[in-house]
Amino acid sequence: MTSVSTVIDSENRDEIAPVSAGDRDGPQDGFKETVGDIYHPRPRLTCRNVDVCYDNGAAHAIRNVSLDIGEMEVLAMIGPSGCGKSTFLRCLNRMNDTIDGCEVTGSIRLDGEEIYSKDLDVVPLRARVGMVFQKPNPFPKSIYENVAYGPRIHGLAANKAELDEVVESSLKRAALWGEVCDRLHQPGTGLSGGQQQRLCIARAIAVSPEVILMDEPCSALDPIATAKVEELIDELRKRYTIVIVTHSMQQAARVSQRTAYFHLGNLVEMDETDRIFTDPQHQLTEDYITGRFG
Amino acid sequence: MTSTETRHTVHRFDDELNEIAKLVDQMGTIAVQQLRRAVKALKKEDPARAHKVIRRDRKLNNLDIEVDEKVIQLIARRAPVAKDLRQIIAVAKVVTDLERTGDEARKIAALCVRFHESDHHVPSDNILRDIYSMSKYVSVMLEVAMQAFSSLDIEKAFSVLLMDEELEIRFDSILRHLSTYVMEDARNVGHFVDIVLGIRALERFGGHAKNIAGHVIFLATANDVRHLDADEIRQLLDLEEE
Repeated sequence: MTSVSTVIDSENRDEIAPVSAGDRDGPQDGFKETVGDIYHPRPRLTCRNVDVCYDNGAAHAIRNVSLDIGEMEVLAMIGPSGCGKSTFLRCLNRMNDTIDGCEVTGSIRLDGEEIYSKDLDVVPLRARVGMVFQKPNPFPKSIYENVAYGPRIHGLAANKAELDEVVESSLKRAALWGEVCDRLHQPGTGLSGGQQQRLCIARAIAVSPEVILMDEPCSALDPIATAKVEELIDELRKRYTIVIVTHSMQQAARVSQRTAYFHLGNLVEMDETDRIFTDPQHQLTEDYITGRFG
Repeated sequence: MTSTETRHTVHRFDDELNEIAKLVDQMGTIAVQQLRRAVKALKKEDPARAHKVIRRDRKLNNLDIEVDEKVIQLIARRAPVAKDLRQIIAVAKVVTDLERTGDEARKIAALCVRFHESDHHVPSDNILRDIYSMSKYVSVMLEVAMQAFSSLDIEKAFSVLLMDEELEIRFDSILRHLSTYVMEDARNVGHFVDIVLGIRALERFGGHAKNIAGHVIFLATANDVRHLDADEIRQLLDLEEE
Protein backbone atom coordinates (compact mmCIF):
# COMPACT_ATOMS: atom_id res chain seq x y z
CA MET A 1 0.00 0.00 0.00
CA THR A 2 1.38 3.38 -0.99
CA SER A 3 1.49 5.87 1.81
CA VAL A 4 -0.56 8.93 1.06
CA SER A 5 -1.17 12.36 2.43
CA THR A 6 -3.88 14.83 1.72
CA VAL A 7 -2.94 17.64 -0.61
CA ILE A 8 -5.19 20.57 -1.01
CA ASP A 9 -5.82 22.93 -3.87
CA SER A 10 -5.44 26.27 -2.18
CA GLU A 11 -6.48 28.21 -5.26
CA ASN A 12 -9.90 26.70 -5.46
CA ARG A 13 -11.50 25.89 -2.14
CA ASP A 14 -14.32 23.96 -3.75
CA GLU A 15 -12.06 21.36 -5.21
CA ILE A 16 -10.13 19.16 -2.89
CA ALA A 17 -8.13 16.33 -4.28
CA PRO A 18 -6.28 13.83 -2.13
CA VAL A 19 -3.28 12.52 -4.03
CA SER A 20 -0.68 9.92 -3.24
CA ALA A 21 2.74 10.86 -1.88
CA GLY A 22 4.29 9.63 -5.10
CA ASP A 23 2.32 12.18 -7.07
CA ARG A 24 3.65 14.96 -4.92
CA ASP A 25 7.12 14.89 -6.38
CA GLY A 26 6.22 16.23 -9.81
CA PRO A 27 4.79 19.66 -10.53
CA GLN A 28 1.04 19.75 -10.15
CA ASP A 29 -1.27 22.47 -11.33
CA GLY A 30 -3.17 23.98 -8.44
CA PHE A 31 -1.79 21.70 -5.70
CA LYS A 32 0.24 23.79 -3.35
CA GLU A 33 -0.26 22.74 0.22
CA THR A 34 0.24 19.56 2.14
CA VAL A 35 -1.89 19.85 5.18
CA GLY A 36 -1.37 18.25 8.57
CA ASP A 37 0.17 14.97 9.49
CA ILE A 38 -1.86 11.82 8.99
CA TYR A 39 0.79 9.59 10.57
CA HIS A 40 1.18 8.48 14.17
CA PRO A 41 4.33 6.98 15.69
CA ARG A 42 2.37 4.10 17.25
CA PRO A 43 -0.63 3.52 15.02
CA ARG A 44 -3.38 1.21 16.18
CA LEU A 45 -5.68 1.74 13.21
CA THR A 46 -4.08 2.41 9.83
CA CYS A 47 -6.46 3.63 7.14
CA ARG A 48 -5.27 4.03 3.57
CA ASN A 49 -7.11 5.24 0.48
CA VAL A 50 -10.51 4.62 2.00
CA ASP A 51 -13.44 5.30 -0.32
CA VAL A 52 -17.08 4.81 0.60
CA CYS A 53 -19.95 4.88 -1.85
CA TYR A 54 -23.65 4.53 -1.11
CA ASP A 55 -26.44 3.47 -3.44
CA ASN A 56 -24.12 1.18 -5.36
CA GLY A 57 -21.74 3.97 -6.31
CA ALA A 58 -24.28 6.73 -6.92
CA ALA A 59 -23.18 8.75 -3.86
CA HIS A 60 -19.48 9.13 -3.05
CA ALA A 61 -19.39 9.71 0.74
CA ILE A 62 -15.67 9.30 1.52
CA ARG A 63 -12.93 10.11 -0.97
CA ASN A 64 -9.52 8.55 -0.70
CA VAL A 65 -9.03 9.17 3.02
CA SER A 66 -5.81 8.04 4.67
CA LEU A 67 -4.92 8.48 8.31
CA ASP A 68 -3.47 6.75 11.35
CA ILE A 69 -5.16 6.51 14.73
CA GLY A 70 -2.62 6.02 17.48
CA GLU A 71 -2.75 3.99 20.65
CA MET A 72 -3.96 5.78 23.74
CA GLU A 73 -5.03 8.83 21.82
CA VAL A 74 -8.34 10.53 21.34
CA LEU A 75 -8.90 11.51 17.72
CA ALA A 76 -11.74 13.96 17.13
CA MET A 77 -13.38 14.07 13.73
CA ILE A 78 -15.15 17.33 12.95
CA GLY A 79 -16.86 18.81 9.94
CA PRO A 80 -20.21 20.06 8.71
CA SER A 81 -23.21 17.75 8.43
CA GLY A 82 -22.86 15.36 5.52
CA CYS A 83 -19.06 15.67 5.35
CA GLY A 84 -18.62 11.94 5.90
CA LYS A 85 -17.16 11.86 9.40
CA SER A 86 -19.79 9.46 10.79
CA THR A 87 -19.56 7.33 7.66
CA PHE A 88 -15.82 7.11 8.13
CA LEU A 89 -16.23 6.27 11.83
CA ARG A 90 -18.60 3.44 10.94
CA CYS A 91 -16.01 2.03 8.54
CA LEU A 92 -13.69 1.41 11.49
CA ASN A 93 -15.74 -1.51 12.84
CA ARG A 94 -17.56 -2.37 9.62
CA MET A 95 -20.87 -0.98 10.78
CA ASN A 96 -21.42 0.12 7.17
CA ASP A 97 -21.71 -3.57 6.26
CA THR A 98 -25.27 -3.38 7.55
CA ILE A 99 -26.24 -0.77 4.92
CA ASP A 100 -27.42 -2.12 1.58
CA GLY A 101 -25.57 -0.68 -1.41
CA CYS A 102 -22.69 0.64 0.70
CA GLU A 103 -19.28 -0.14 -0.73
CA VAL A 104 -16.03 0.42 1.17
CA THR A 105 -12.70 0.21 -0.68
CA GLY A 106 -9.13 0.84 0.44
CA SER A 107 -7.46 -0.58 3.47
CA ILE A 108 -8.18 -0.35 7.20
CA ARG A 109 -5.87 -2.31 9.47
CA LEU A 110 -6.29 -2.89 13.20
CA ASP A 111 -2.90 -3.70 14.72
CA GLY A 112 -1.74 -4.65 11.24
CA GLU A 113 -4.69 -6.93 10.48
CA GLU A 114 -6.91 -6.00 7.54
CA ILE A 115 -10.44 -5.61 8.93
CA TYR A 116 -12.04 -5.81 5.49
CA SER A 117 -10.52 -9.23 4.86
CA LYS A 118 -13.17 -11.71 3.70
CA ASP A 119 -12.06 -14.17 6.38
CA LEU A 120 -12.57 -11.76 9.22
CA ASP A 121 -15.50 -12.36 11.56
CA VAL A 122 -17.13 -9.02 12.31
CA VAL A 123 -18.54 -10.12 15.70
CA PRO A 124 -15.15 -10.27 17.49
CA LEU A 125 -14.07 -7.20 15.46
CA ARG A 126 -16.92 -5.19 16.95
CA ALA A 127 -15.89 -6.38 20.40
CA ARG A 128 -12.35 -5.12 19.72
CA VAL A 129 -13.68 -1.89 18.21
CA GLY A 130 -16.65 -0.91 20.37
CA MET A 131 -19.11 1.82 19.59
CA VAL A 132 -21.14 4.38 21.52
CA PHE A 133 -23.95 6.12 19.66
CA GLN A 134 -25.45 9.59 19.65
CA LYS A 135 -28.55 8.54 21.55
CA PRO A 136 -28.03 6.33 24.61
CA ASN A 137 -29.43 2.93 23.64
CA PRO A 138 -29.36 0.61 26.66
CA PHE A 139 -30.95 -2.80 26.18
CA PRO A 140 -34.39 -3.13 27.79
CA LYS A 141 -32.75 -5.15 30.55
CA SER A 142 -31.35 -4.50 33.99
CA ILE A 143 -28.25 -2.35 34.51
CA TYR A 144 -26.33 -5.52 35.37
CA GLU A 145 -27.50 -7.40 32.28
CA ASN A 146 -26.66 -4.48 29.99
CA VAL A 147 -23.02 -4.76 31.00
CA ALA A 148 -22.94 -8.55 31.42
CA TYR A 149 -24.45 -9.27 28.00
CA GLY A 150 -21.27 -8.76 25.93
CA PRO A 151 -18.85 -10.68 28.18
CA ARG A 152 -21.35 -13.51 28.38
CA ILE A 153 -21.81 -13.96 24.60
CA HIS A 154 -18.10 -13.54 23.96
CA GLY A 155 -17.29 -16.05 26.70
CA LEU A 156 -15.13 -13.63 28.65
CA ALA A 157 -16.25 -14.82 32.08
CA ALA A 158 -15.98 -18.42 33.29
CA ASN A 159 -18.51 -18.15 36.11
CA LYS A 160 -20.88 -15.82 37.89
CA ALA A 161 -18.19 -14.45 40.20
CA GLU A 162 -16.01 -13.47 37.23
CA LEU A 163 -18.98 -11.91 35.47
CA ASP A 164 -19.81 -9.90 38.60
CA GLU A 165 -16.24 -8.69 38.64
CA VAL A 166 -16.35 -7.63 34.97
CA VAL A 167 -19.64 -5.78 35.53
CA GLU A 168 -18.30 -4.00 38.58
CA SER A 169 -14.98 -3.02 37.02
CA SER A 170 -16.66 -1.85 33.80
CA LEU A 171 -19.16 0.29 35.69
CA LYS A 172 -16.33 1.67 37.81
CA ARG A 173 -14.27 2.56 34.71
CA ALA A 174 -17.36 4.22 33.25
CA ALA A 175 -17.62 6.28 36.46
CA LEU A 176 -21.13 4.92 37.07
CA TRP A 177 -20.63 2.33 39.83
CA GLY A 178 -21.14 4.73 42.72
CA GLU A 179 -24.49 5.84 41.29
CA VAL A 180 -25.91 2.39 40.49
CA CYS A 181 -24.25 -0.17 42.77
CA ASP A 182 -27.32 -0.45 44.96
CA ARG A 183 -29.79 -0.89 42.06
CA LEU A 184 -27.98 -3.12 39.59
CA HIS A 185 -31.10 -5.14 38.87
CA GLN A 186 -33.29 -2.20 38.02
CA PRO A 187 -33.92 -1.41 34.31
CA GLY A 188 -31.11 0.45 32.51
CA THR A 189 -33.73 2.54 30.75
CA GLY A 190 -34.74 4.00 34.12
CA LEU A 191 -31.44 5.90 34.41
CA SER A 192 -31.00 9.55 33.40
CA GLY A 193 -29.70 10.33 29.88
CA GLY A 194 -26.15 10.92 31.06
CA GLN A 195 -26.20 7.76 33.18
CA GLN A 196 -27.60 5.76 30.26
CA GLN A 197 -24.77 6.99 28.02
CA ARG A 198 -22.19 6.01 30.64
CA LEU A 199 -23.95 2.63 30.91
CA CYS A 200 -23.49 2.23 27.14
CA ILE A 201 -19.81 3.10 27.57
CA ALA A 202 -19.57 0.50 30.38
CA ARG A 203 -21.24 -2.00 28.05
CA ALA A 204 -18.69 -1.22 25.35
CA ILE A 205 -15.67 -1.55 27.64
CA ALA A 206 -16.96 -4.74 29.32
CA VAL A 207 -15.75 -6.77 26.33
CA SER A 208 -12.20 -5.37 26.64
CA PRO A 209 -12.08 -3.42 23.38
CA GLU A 210 -8.91 -1.89 21.94
CA VAL A 211 -10.70 0.99 20.27
CA ILE A 212 -13.88 2.84 21.23
CA LEU A 213 -15.79 4.74 18.55
CA MET A 214 -18.09 7.50 19.76
CA ASP A 215 -20.59 9.09 17.41
CA GLU A 216 -21.64 12.41 18.96
CA PRO A 217 -21.89 10.77 22.39
CA CYS A 218 -22.93 13.94 24.22
CA SER A 219 -25.33 15.55 21.77
CA ALA A 220 -28.35 14.39 23.77
CA LEU A 221 -26.86 15.20 27.18
CA ASP A 222 -26.99 18.25 29.43
CA PRO A 223 -23.74 20.12 30.27
CA ILE A 224 -23.16 18.27 33.55
CA ALA A 225 -23.66 14.82 31.98
CA THR A 226 -21.46 16.00 29.07
CA ALA A 227 -18.71 17.01 31.50
CA LYS A 228 -18.89 13.57 33.15
CA VAL A 229 -18.59 11.80 29.80
CA GLU A 230 -15.66 14.05 28.82
CA GLU A 231 -13.94 13.32 32.11
CA LEU A 232 -14.54 9.63 31.43
CA ILE A 233 -13.05 9.92 27.92
CA ASP A 234 -9.93 11.44 29.46
CA GLU A 235 -9.73 8.54 31.89
CA LEU A 236 -10.41 5.88 29.25
CA ARG A 237 -7.64 7.26 27.04
CA LYS A 238 -5.10 5.70 29.41
CA ARG A 239 -6.23 2.23 28.23
CA TYR A 240 -8.05 2.64 24.93
CA THR A 241 -7.81 4.37 21.58
CA ILE A 242 -10.84 6.60 21.18
CA VAL A 243 -12.28 8.10 18.01
CA ILE A 244 -15.00 10.67 18.58
CA VAL A 245 -17.24 12.39 16.07
CA THR A 246 -18.57 15.64 17.44
CA HIS A 247 -20.36 18.73 16.23
CA SER A 248 -19.06 20.64 19.22
CA MET A 249 -15.75 22.25 18.35
CA GLN A 250 -15.17 23.06 21.99
CA GLN A 251 -15.65 19.40 22.88
CA ALA A 252 -13.15 18.35 20.21
CA ALA A 253 -10.71 20.92 21.60
CA ARG A 254 -11.26 19.72 25.16
CA VAL A 255 -11.03 15.97 24.78
CA SER A 256 -8.79 15.12 21.82
CA GLN A 257 -5.06 15.07 21.16
CA ARG A 258 -5.48 15.18 17.40
CA THR A 259 -8.29 16.50 15.24
CA ALA A 260 -9.29 15.65 11.68
CA TYR A 261 -11.41 18.04 9.64
CA PHE A 262 -13.62 16.52 6.95
CA HIS A 263 -15.30 18.40 4.13
CA LEU A 264 -17.42 16.90 1.33
CA GLY A 265 -16.03 13.44 2.01
CA ASN A 266 -12.40 14.59 1.99
CA LEU A 267 -9.95 14.73 4.84
CA VAL A 268 -8.91 18.38 4.56
CA GLU A 269 -6.60 18.67 7.53
CA MET A 270 -5.42 16.53 10.42
CA ASP A 271 -3.10 17.77 13.09
CA GLU A 272 -2.44 18.19 16.78
CA THR A 273 -5.63 19.58 18.34
CA ASP A 274 -3.66 22.46 19.88
CA ARG A 275 -2.57 23.52 16.44
CA ILE A 276 -5.90 23.02 14.67
CA PHE A 277 -7.60 25.37 17.12
CA THR A 278 -4.91 28.05 17.22
CA ASP A 279 -3.27 27.95 13.82
CA PRO A 280 -5.07 25.74 11.29
CA GLN A 281 -3.18 25.42 8.03
CA HIS A 282 -6.10 25.27 5.64
CA GLN A 283 -8.58 28.04 4.98
CA LEU A 284 -11.52 25.60 4.97
CA THR A 285 -10.61 24.42 8.46
CA GLU A 286 -10.18 28.00 9.66
CA ASP A 287 -13.53 29.03 8.19
CA TYR A 288 -15.31 26.08 9.78
CA ILE A 289 -13.90 26.33 13.28
CA THR A 290 -14.24 30.12 13.43
CA GLY A 291 -17.86 29.98 12.30
CA ARG A 292 -17.39 31.49 8.86
CA PHE A 293 -18.58 28.41 7.05
CA GLY A 294 -21.49 28.30 4.65
CA MET B 1 -7.07 45.27 12.28
CA THR B 2 -8.99 44.68 9.07
CA SER B 3 -12.13 42.63 9.18
CA THR B 4 -11.47 39.34 7.44
CA GLU B 5 -12.81 38.80 3.92
CA THR B 6 -15.26 36.12 4.98
CA ARG B 7 -17.81 37.16 7.54
CA HIS B 8 -18.78 34.99 10.47
CA THR B 9 -22.08 33.17 10.08
CA VAL B 10 -23.07 35.05 13.24
CA HIS B 11 -22.69 38.63 11.97
CA ARG B 12 -22.84 40.07 15.47
CA PHE B 13 -19.44 38.46 16.08
CA ASP B 14 -17.96 40.58 13.26
CA ASP B 15 -19.69 43.68 14.62
CA GLU B 16 -18.17 43.07 18.06
CA LEU B 17 -14.68 42.57 16.60
CA ASN B 18 -15.07 45.74 14.51
CA GLU B 19 -16.21 47.73 17.55
CA ILE B 20 -13.08 46.64 19.41
CA ALA B 21 -10.89 47.42 16.37
CA LYS B 22 -12.27 50.97 16.23
CA LEU B 23 -11.48 51.54 19.91
CA VAL B 24 -7.92 50.26 19.44
CA ASP B 25 -7.43 52.61 16.45
CA GLN B 26 -8.75 55.46 18.56
CA MET B 27 -6.29 54.61 21.34
CA GLY B 28 -3.39 54.56 18.86
CA THR B 29 -4.34 58.00 17.53
CA ILE B 30 -4.66 59.45 21.02
CA ALA B 31 -1.33 57.95 22.15
CA VAL B 32 0.56 59.59 19.26
CA GLN B 33 -1.27 62.89 19.82
CA GLN B 34 -0.45 62.80 23.52
CA LEU B 35 3.27 62.53 22.86
CA ARG B 36 3.22 65.28 20.20
CA ARG B 37 1.22 67.58 22.45
CA ALA B 38 3.52 66.93 25.43
CA VAL B 39 6.58 67.81 23.34
CA LYS B 40 4.82 70.90 21.98
CA ALA B 41 4.11 72.02 25.54
CA LEU B 42 7.80 71.59 26.29
CA LYS B 43 8.82 73.55 23.21
CA LYS B 44 6.32 76.35 23.84
CA GLU B 45 7.20 76.41 27.54
CA ASP B 46 3.49 76.09 28.23
CA PRO B 47 2.66 74.21 31.47
CA ALA B 48 -1.10 74.73 30.94
CA ARG B 49 -0.85 72.75 27.73
CA ALA B 50 1.14 70.08 29.61
CA HIS B 51 -1.55 69.84 32.29
CA LYS B 52 -4.08 69.23 29.54
CA VAL B 53 -1.97 66.30 28.28
CA ILE B 54 -1.77 64.87 31.79
CA ARG B 55 -5.54 65.09 32.24
CA ARG B 56 -6.20 63.58 28.84
CA ASP B 57 -4.20 60.46 29.79
CA ARG B 58 -7.27 59.40 31.72
CA LYS B 59 -9.05 58.96 28.40
CA LEU B 60 -6.49 56.34 27.35
CA ASN B 61 -6.84 54.60 30.71
CA ASN B 62 -10.62 54.46 30.32
CA LEU B 63 -10.37 53.12 26.78
CA ASP B 64 -7.93 50.46 28.01
CA ILE B 65 -10.49 49.29 30.56
CA GLU B 66 -13.35 49.47 28.04
CA VAL B 67 -11.49 47.33 25.49
CA ASP B 68 -10.45 44.82 28.16
CA GLU B 69 -14.08 44.45 29.24
CA LYS B 70 -15.16 43.87 25.65
CA VAL B 71 -12.39 41.31 25.16
CA ILE B 72 -13.50 39.39 28.26
CA GLN B 73 -17.12 39.46 27.12
CA LEU B 74 -16.19 38.31 23.64
CA ILE B 75 -14.10 35.40 24.95
CA ALA B 76 -16.92 34.37 27.30
CA ARG B 77 -19.68 34.64 24.71
CA ARG B 78 -18.02 33.64 21.45
CA ALA B 79 -15.25 31.22 22.53
CA PRO B 80 -12.99 32.41 19.67
CA VAL B 81 -10.50 30.01 18.10
CA ALA B 82 -7.72 30.12 15.50
CA LYS B 83 -7.22 33.60 14.01
CA ASP B 84 -10.15 35.04 15.98
CA LEU B 85 -8.46 33.88 19.17
CA ARG B 86 -5.08 35.30 18.16
CA GLN B 87 -6.79 38.55 17.19
CA ILE B 88 -8.48 38.97 20.53
CA ILE B 89 -5.35 38.04 22.48
CA ALA B 90 -3.31 40.46 20.36
CA VAL B 91 -5.85 43.23 20.96
CA ALA B 92 -5.66 42.70 24.73
CA LYS B 93 -1.89 43.03 24.60
CA VAL B 94 -1.86 45.97 22.18
CA VAL B 95 -4.16 48.06 24.35
CA THR B 96 -1.95 47.41 27.38
CA ASP B 97 1.03 48.71 25.40
CA LEU B 98 -0.96 51.70 24.13
CA GLU B 99 -2.03 52.61 27.64
CA ARG B 100 1.60 52.52 28.69
CA THR B 101 2.70 54.75 25.80
CA GLY B 102 0.20 57.23 27.24
CA ASP B 103 1.96 56.99 30.61
CA GLU B 104 5.30 57.76 28.93
CA ALA B 105 3.80 60.78 27.11
CA ARG B 106 2.46 61.98 30.46
CA LYS B 107 5.98 61.84 31.87
CA ILE B 108 7.18 64.20 29.13
CA ALA B 109 4.29 66.56 29.93
CA ALA B 110 5.23 66.34 33.61
CA LEU B 111 8.76 67.43 32.71
CA CYS B 112 7.35 70.62 31.19
CA VAL B 113 5.35 71.31 34.35
CA ARG B 114 8.45 70.70 36.49
CA PHE B 115 10.62 73.02 34.42
CA HIS B 116 8.15 75.86 34.18
CA GLU B 117 6.14 75.76 37.40
CA SER B 118 9.01 75.60 39.84
CA ASP B 119 11.97 77.73 40.73
CA HIS B 120 14.05 75.50 38.55
CA HIS B 121 16.37 77.06 36.08
CA VAL B 122 14.76 76.32 32.68
CA PRO B 123 16.93 74.09 30.49
CA SER B 124 18.13 75.45 27.20
CA ASP B 125 16.74 74.28 23.88
CA ASN B 126 20.16 72.81 23.24
CA ILE B 127 19.82 70.27 26.04
CA LEU B 128 16.20 69.50 25.07
CA ARG B 129 16.87 68.88 21.41
CA ASP B 130 17.53 65.15 22.00
CA ILE B 131 14.04 64.86 23.50
CA TYR B 132 12.58 66.58 20.43
CA SER B 133 14.37 64.36 17.93
CA MET B 134 13.74 61.16 19.82
CA SER B 135 10.04 61.91 20.31
CA LYS B 136 9.65 62.41 16.57
CA TYR B 137 11.29 59.04 15.96
CA VAL B 138 9.21 57.07 18.47
CA SER B 139 5.92 58.66 17.43
CA VAL B 140 6.62 57.51 13.85
CA MET B 141 7.38 54.05 15.27
CA LEU B 142 3.98 53.92 16.94
CA GLU B 143 2.20 55.23 13.85
CA VAL B 144 3.80 52.57 11.66
CA ALA B 145 3.06 49.86 14.25
CA MET B 146 -0.61 50.88 14.32
CA GLN B 147 -0.75 50.95 10.51
CA ALA B 148 0.72 47.43 10.51
CA PHE B 149 -1.92 46.40 13.04
CA SER B 150 -4.75 47.84 10.94
CA SER B 151 -3.62 46.19 7.72
CA LEU B 152 -1.94 43.10 9.25
CA ASP B 153 1.18 44.08 7.30
CA ILE B 154 4.05 41.88 8.49
CA GLU B 155 6.72 43.81 6.59
CA LYS B 156 5.59 47.06 8.15
CA ALA B 157 5.58 45.40 11.57
CA PHE B 158 9.07 44.08 10.95
CA SER B 159 10.25 47.60 9.97
CA VAL B 160 9.20 48.76 13.46
CA LEU B 161 11.38 46.04 14.99
CA LEU B 162 14.30 47.34 12.94
CA MET B 163 13.50 50.90 14.02
CA ASP B 164 13.67 49.73 17.62
CA GLU B 165 17.20 48.43 17.08
CA GLU B 166 18.14 51.89 15.73
CA LEU B 167 16.35 53.48 18.70
CA GLU B 168 18.53 51.57 21.15
CA ILE B 169 21.64 52.85 19.36
CA ARG B 170 20.30 56.42 19.47
CA PHE B 171 19.43 56.04 23.16
CA ASP B 172 23.00 55.01 24.05
CA SER B 173 24.42 57.78 21.89
CA ILE B 174 22.18 60.43 23.51
CA LEU B 175 23.22 59.27 27.00
CA ARG B 176 26.88 59.68 26.01
CA HIS B 177 26.17 63.09 24.54
CA LEU B 178 24.34 64.25 27.67
CA SER B 179 27.20 63.06 29.90
CA THR B 180 29.61 65.14 27.84
CA TYR B 181 27.31 68.12 28.13
CA VAL B 182 27.25 67.84 31.91
CA MET B 183 31.00 67.51 32.07
CA GLU B 184 31.41 70.65 29.97
CA ASP B 185 29.20 72.76 32.19
CA ALA B 186 28.46 71.64 35.77
CA ARG B 187 25.45 74.01 35.95
CA ASN B 188 23.58 71.51 33.75
CA VAL B 189 23.74 68.76 36.38
CA GLY B 190 20.33 69.77 37.78
CA HIS B 191 18.64 69.08 34.48
CA PHE B 192 20.65 66.01 33.63
CA VAL B 193 18.51 63.58 35.65
CA ASP B 194 15.25 65.06 34.35
CA ILE B 195 16.36 64.86 30.75
CA VAL B 196 17.66 61.32 31.15
CA LEU B 197 14.31 60.29 32.64
CA GLY B 198 12.58 61.95 29.68
CA ILE B 199 14.82 60.14 27.19
CA ARG B 200 14.19 56.91 29.06
CA ALA B 201 10.40 57.48 28.83
CA LEU B 202 10.74 57.96 25.07
CA GLU B 203 12.85 54.83 24.75
CA ARG B 204 10.09 52.94 26.53
CA PHE B 205 7.48 54.56 24.29
CA GLY B 206 9.38 53.10 21.32
CA GLY B 207 9.63 49.77 23.14
CA HIS B 208 5.83 49.60 23.37
CA ALA B 209 5.57 50.34 19.64
CA LYS B 210 7.96 47.44 19.08
CA ASN B 211 5.79 45.19 21.29
CA ILE B 212 2.75 46.13 19.21
CA ALA B 213 4.64 45.19 16.03
CA GLY B 214 5.42 41.82 17.64
CA HIS B 215 1.72 41.30 18.43
CA VAL B 216 0.89 42.03 14.77
CA ILE B 217 3.32 39.32 13.65
CA PHE B 218 1.80 36.89 16.16
CA LEU B 219 -1.69 37.71 14.97
CA ALA B 220 -0.86 37.37 11.29
CA THR B 221 1.47 34.36 11.41
CA ALA B 222 0.92 32.63 14.78
CA ASN B 223 4.66 33.06 15.48
CA ASP B 224 5.73 34.48 18.82
CA VAL B 225 8.74 36.65 17.99
CA ARG B 226 9.10 38.49 21.29
CA HIS B 227 12.47 37.04 22.21
CA LEU B 228 14.00 36.71 18.76
CA ASP B 229 16.44 39.07 17.11
CA ALA B 230 15.80 40.69 13.74
CA ASP B 231 17.76 38.12 11.74
CA GLU B 232 15.93 35.22 13.36
CA ILE B 233 12.58 36.89 12.69
CA ARG B 234 13.52 37.64 9.09
CA GLN B 235 14.40 34.00 8.59
CA LEU B 236 11.30 32.74 10.35
CA LEU B 237 8.97 34.92 8.31
CA ASP B 238 10.95 34.48 5.12
CA LEU B 239 11.37 38.23 4.67
CA GLU B 240 13.85 39.68 2.22
CA GLU B 241 16.82 41.63 3.51
CA GLU B 242 16.58 45.32 2.75
